[in-house]
Amino acid sequence: MPRSLWTGSLSFGLVNVPVRLETAVRDRDLHFRQIHRKDGAPIEVQRFCSEEDVEVDYDEITHGYEPEDSEQVMISDLELQAIEPRRTRTIDIEQFVELAEVDPMYFDHPYWLVPASEDDGTVRAYRLLTEVMGQTERAALGRLVMRAKEYLALVREREGALTLTTMLFADETRPIKDIDAATQKSHKPARKQLDAAVAVIEALSEDWEPDKHKDRYRDRLRKVVQQKRKGETISVPDSDQASAPVPDLMAALERTLEELQAGSSR
Amino acid sequence: MARPRSIWNGTITFGLMRVPIKVHSATQDKSVHFHEVHAKDGAQIEHRRICSKEGKVVPYNQVAKGYEVKKGEYVLLDQEEIDAAAGRQSREIELEEFVAVGDIDPVYYNRGYYLGAGDDGQDAYRLLHDAMERAERVGLGRWVFHNREYLVAVRPLDAVLALHTMRFADELVDADSLDLPSPSRKPSDREVKMAGALVDSLSASFDPGAFEDSYRDRVLALIQAKARGEEPELPDAPEPSGDTDLMAALEASLQGS
Repeated sequence: MPRSLWTGSLSFGLVNVPVRLETAVRDRDLHFRQIHRKDGAPIEVQRFCSEEDVEVDYDEITHGYEPEDSEQVMISDLELQAIEPRRTRTIDIEQFVELAEVDPMYFDHPYWLVPASEDDGTVRAYRLLTEVMGQTERAALGRLVMRAKEYLALVREREGALTLTTMLFADETRPIKDIDAATQKSHKPARKQLDAAVAVIEALSEDWEPDKHKDRYRDRLRKVVQQKRKGETISVPDSDQASAPVPDLMAALERTLEELQAGSSR
Repeated sequence: MARPRSIWNGTITFGLMRVPIKVHSATQDKSVHFHEVHAKDGAQIEHRRICSKEGKVVPYNQVAKGYEVKKGEYVLLDQEEIDAAAGRQSREIELEEFVAVGDIDPVYYNRGYYLGAGDDGQDAYRLLHDAMERAERVGLGRWVFHNREYLVAVRPLDAVLALHTMRFADELVDADSLDLPSPSRKPSDREVKMAGALVDSLSASFDPGAFEDSYRDRVLALIQAKARGEEPELPDAPEPSGDTDLMAALEASLQGS
């Protein structure tokens, strides 16, 4: 069973459901270890006290912070938990929203939320909440404190279970007003251009099939490791140069449409 | 105001269309960051690379990357060889297909960025933005960034285009593997109805600005208090408890809301 990252309860009005978080994403990356070239031995990272020059056990380490106007302050894990004792243990559902209203830009990390015990009361309350959220297609917003950080969290039904996504707070996203989005009137596309661009998009439209997209990077990296194991040389591919924009948008759209139509009627 | 710095410049292509773009970060870290210190003397903790055979510190130029192919057997690679797996260092993101906005489960979205119009690309940028908005579709393509290839989705977000790196299907854990316990009986119609009424009573439209990170401010307040020499009180964390009488709890919640 995967390690639980957070255990507490999900509170919905006066209904409390003991739950724990499990990650919804498994790490499929190839991981490399640092190796000492000279003798091929793995390298271990050890923590040393910079003053005493001795190795320090993890439980002798605490958090340090240097405010601008005073000396360093040390804060323990217990003190960090005490800041929000309730949110460290409880996700209070503050409101329900339509999932489509929440922009994906706010999404951080997805987890599964599972009942923390097999107690029938717990399991039934979990089932009830899952069923109701599935039926109403609503997602619940609440907050939790995990690893000394507070998160906004979105809880919803997915595949018959509850999933929780940590979210960014509004001030953790940057304002879009500073981005050059070509909003001046002079850049507004002519109706004909827009129709043609929409036609291109529709011609290139497919159903969303997540399984179809493979992590080619991971596959290639695995291949590189295999080649290297066999003593082959790894060739480093060339870089492309940036290409110039098309001078005539309408002409490019029309040619694209012609090519797509020719392609589909072949 | 000065434009935010871009982290990548290139071209989005779809069909024969070319849209010069700049990638900007969309997020900013606001957490309070601590460093590791030795509780005993307050001295900074240093991470040292120690050779597991010699027990001595290894200088950085003596470090190679090793992939364990068998227990204890490592294939050594240079950074350049690892980077080769990114494929061709393309400056283009080809939108190979477009999918309906609502079809992508949010769980696939990983990191978000904003796209700005690149040099001489304003008309093309606006055209792609407006066309995707009207078609209610999201473009999918591949992006090589920092020596790694990503599946990305490009979509209109208000007036700008946003780009998201996407998770691959095989990275997601299925609900089936969770081994969820089944209740002795299904929730009754009455319970479902009551819970539905409670969901309705707590429903509102999403206003991201309504939620503030109060924890962050309180961490800073704690730091200030400790700097003044005050000792914080440590309350006991309340124990979570499961309700046995679901119906009574639902009724009481509805009366209270």
